Amino acid sequence: MNNQLTIGLVGNPNSGKSSIFNLLTGLRQKVGNFPGVTVDKKSAQLTLKGLPPVEIIDFPGAYSCYPTSLDERVVVHALIKGQIDELPNALLYVADVTKLDKHLLLFSQLRDLDLPLILVLNMADLIEKDQLKVDLKQLGKRLGVPTVLVSSRSGEGIENLYAAVRELIEDPLQFRPEEPFYALPPLEKDVISDLRQELPARNDYHALLMVHHAQWLDFIDEKKRHRIQQAKMDRGLHSLRSQVNETMSRYDALEPVVYDTIKRGGEEFNTTTDKLDRILTHRIFGPLIFLAIMLLLFQALFSWAEFPMNGIEWIFGQLGDGVRYALGEGWLSDLLVDGVIAGLGGILVFAPQIAILFFLVSLLEEVGYMARAAFMFDHLMQRFGLNGRSVVALISGHACAIPAIMSARTISNWKERLLTILVTPLTGCSARLPVYTVLIGFAVPATTVLGGWLNVQGLAFAGLYVLGIVGAIFSAFLFKLVLKTPERSFLMLELPPYRPPVWRNVWNNVYQKTKTFALEAGKIIIVISILLWVMSSFGPGDKMQMAEQTATEQSEELNLDETATDDLIAANKLEASYAGHLGKFIEPVITPLGYDWKIGIALLTSFAAREVFIGTMATIYSVGHEEDEFRIRERLAQERDPVTGEMVYNQATAWSLLIFYVFAMMCMGTLAVTKRETNSWKWPAVQFFFLTGLAYFGAMLVYQVLS
Amino acid sequence: MSTNIPGTASEMANQQTGTIQRFTNEELATKLLDIGIKPGARLRLIRRSPFGGCWYVKVDRQCVALRKLELDCIVIK
Repeated sequence: MNNQLTIGLVGNPNSGKSSIFNLLTGLRQKVGNFPGVTVDKKSAQLTLKGLPPVEIIDFPGAYSCYPTSLDERVVVHALIKGQIDELPNALLYVADVTKLDKHLLLFSQLRDLDLPLILVLNMADLIEKDQLKVDLKQLGKRLGVPTVLVSSRSGEGIENLYAAVRELIEDPLQFRPEEPFYALPPLEKDVISDLRQELPARNDYHALLMVHHAQWLDFIDEKKRHRIQQAKMDRGLHSLRSQVNETMSRYDALEPVVYDTIKRGGEEFNTTTDKLDRILTHRIFGPLIFLAIMLLLFQALFSWAEFPMNGIEWIFGQLGDGVRYALGEGWLSDLLVDGVIAGLGGILVFAPQIAILFFLVSLLEEVGYMARAAFMFDHLMQRFGLNGRSVVALISGHACAIPAIMSARTISNWKERLLTILVTPLTGCSARLPVYTVLIGFAVPATTVLGGWLNVQGLAFAGLYVLGIVGAIFSAFLFKLVLKTPERSFLMLELPPYRPPVWRNVWNNVYQKTKTFALEAGKIIIVISILLWVMSSFGPGDKMQMAEQTATEQSEELNLDETATDDLIAANKLEASYAGHLGKFIEPVITPLGYDWKIGIALLTSFAAREVFIGTMATIYSVGHEEDEFRIRERLAQERDPVTGEMVYNQATAWSLLIFYVFAMMCMGTLAVTKRETNSWKWPAVQFFFLTGLAYFGAMLVYQVLS
Repeated sequence: MSTNIPGTASEMANQQTGTIQRFTNEELATKLLDIGIKPGARLRLIRRSPFGGCWYVKVDRQCVALRKLELDCIVIK
């Protein structure tokens, strides 16, 4: 542990805590892991003039020190750890000033943990609208901590926050509250005094939390756990009852404070949110509007992304040509241009689509619509073993399954959360787009029906997305039948008032997510494309030279022109290469699906990431520019079976491949995040074999029926 | 409203308001208290969810979504 000061940002969900974090730190954020638990930790350096830099940590939102979700556990775990030097030096507690009566519960608990604290009242911009009167001075005095009023939306009051943070850095001790807010009842006191010698606690309340959470705290060993259990039994302390009593008495103590310092006027019923929800969560209009929003989202995805995508393709094309020109012909320029640049271009071309999807999804989240979607579909989702909150994951899964799987953390029931994690990769993430685009050309004719109103290829596109969602829901249902859990499931979801989005938050999110995508996916793609290039350029022994020789002789016999000769040589060499051998090796397994060994190579490489499929096909078919989908399509159309002379890419093969890509678990990143979120190798393995099995048999069925 | 005051929140009629007296399940009580739903608060059923099973509920000024099973554990006076 270094000596740098750390300040934690804590608060209820929907308190605008992350908004404050964005305001304080801008784009200088980095994402790491909380020690001991693998949950994202967002942190950033903050430097105030003339002071050493401090690290600001944005904790997940939490309601109280009695966690119900994984996110909340992270907060509680981080704040009640035994060693004092592992704790943040101070906390900024963010509360929504319009909901202070509720948001002060966790505040009062943290204050009793004896941590230096500043109370940050957010949403100052709503004070006028909600006709609030806040007596800041008295509130701070009654709660015994410095209190500042800010608006993370407009930035109003931010200088006061800076000033308070500065005082805090200069002298953290003066911010330590002196007296506990909640006096432990006799029963709890007795249990604590029995255990006092054994618990590494700073004060009585800290010890009490350890007693309540002994079951899952990792720094309490089995022996101590047993001692705690014994002490509770001896004294007859019932944890849940004790928690309820504590919470009630905290509310009782806080109520007069809030009553005396905050006066409210304004409408109680018929607010803007009430009016909007009358339509947006209406029994019939609600789901219809939801569908319309989803349609719009995908429409935007395709139409907005086209222009920047073409631009990126062009840049990489130019870059490749430039490098080839600068280096001349040779293996190095082949490796760089055909391997690295083509591979990178192939992945970065999705960046605009990813960015647009994240933009729209975080917009829906930011205004408060996602909670409504969860409310509307909860009952439907429950029938399939999911939770209303799963809707959020299933929607964001259309951008990328990785953040979507992480969003399932808000689901407190383990089984519902697990099912959400397992089936989210079935939703049509953006990496499937290029695969679908190329293959649909072979599967469906480019015609229109209904007098030109409906494009058949577009219809097939939509169909694949629907198939993904239906597949996800029914897979969840299958898992639901197999998995058993005694744990009770809850919805209990806050529906926050609708608010115009804070654009800073939306942009921040889009920037961070797109950056992570480009960096993480970029790394995998570079490795794979180098590996693939090596494997298809070299072969065992002198087989490659032999293949070249045979091809040259063959072409002389057949009197082929130069291009055709080159193509023949390339094809024969590929077959003789390591990659060719690998493809031939798995060919028997994929023949029932209608694939040859070349498709086999592409299938194998795309298990790292789906989008690699197109790049691999391009490398295999030696099309000059991998990114150019039309040329790949032309080349694929000419591909014929050497024995029967039939087209390889007929309708049956194309549909079979499409079905395979709808279901197959082909993304290392997703498997890694499943491993992280479930903390075991079992679930990523189950996910991989189940989904890939589904893909295999689905594709086989489709091929056998169509061919 | 009527003199027939229901026992639990799930037995209330649409748009009916009642005052929370207590909770019958401790696990649920801790969770409800955490999000600020506490005895003494006024609870009003606003509308049923499109596919049934849960309710859009207003507790004092706060809007929450609660399942019918969760409303079952809230005793109204």
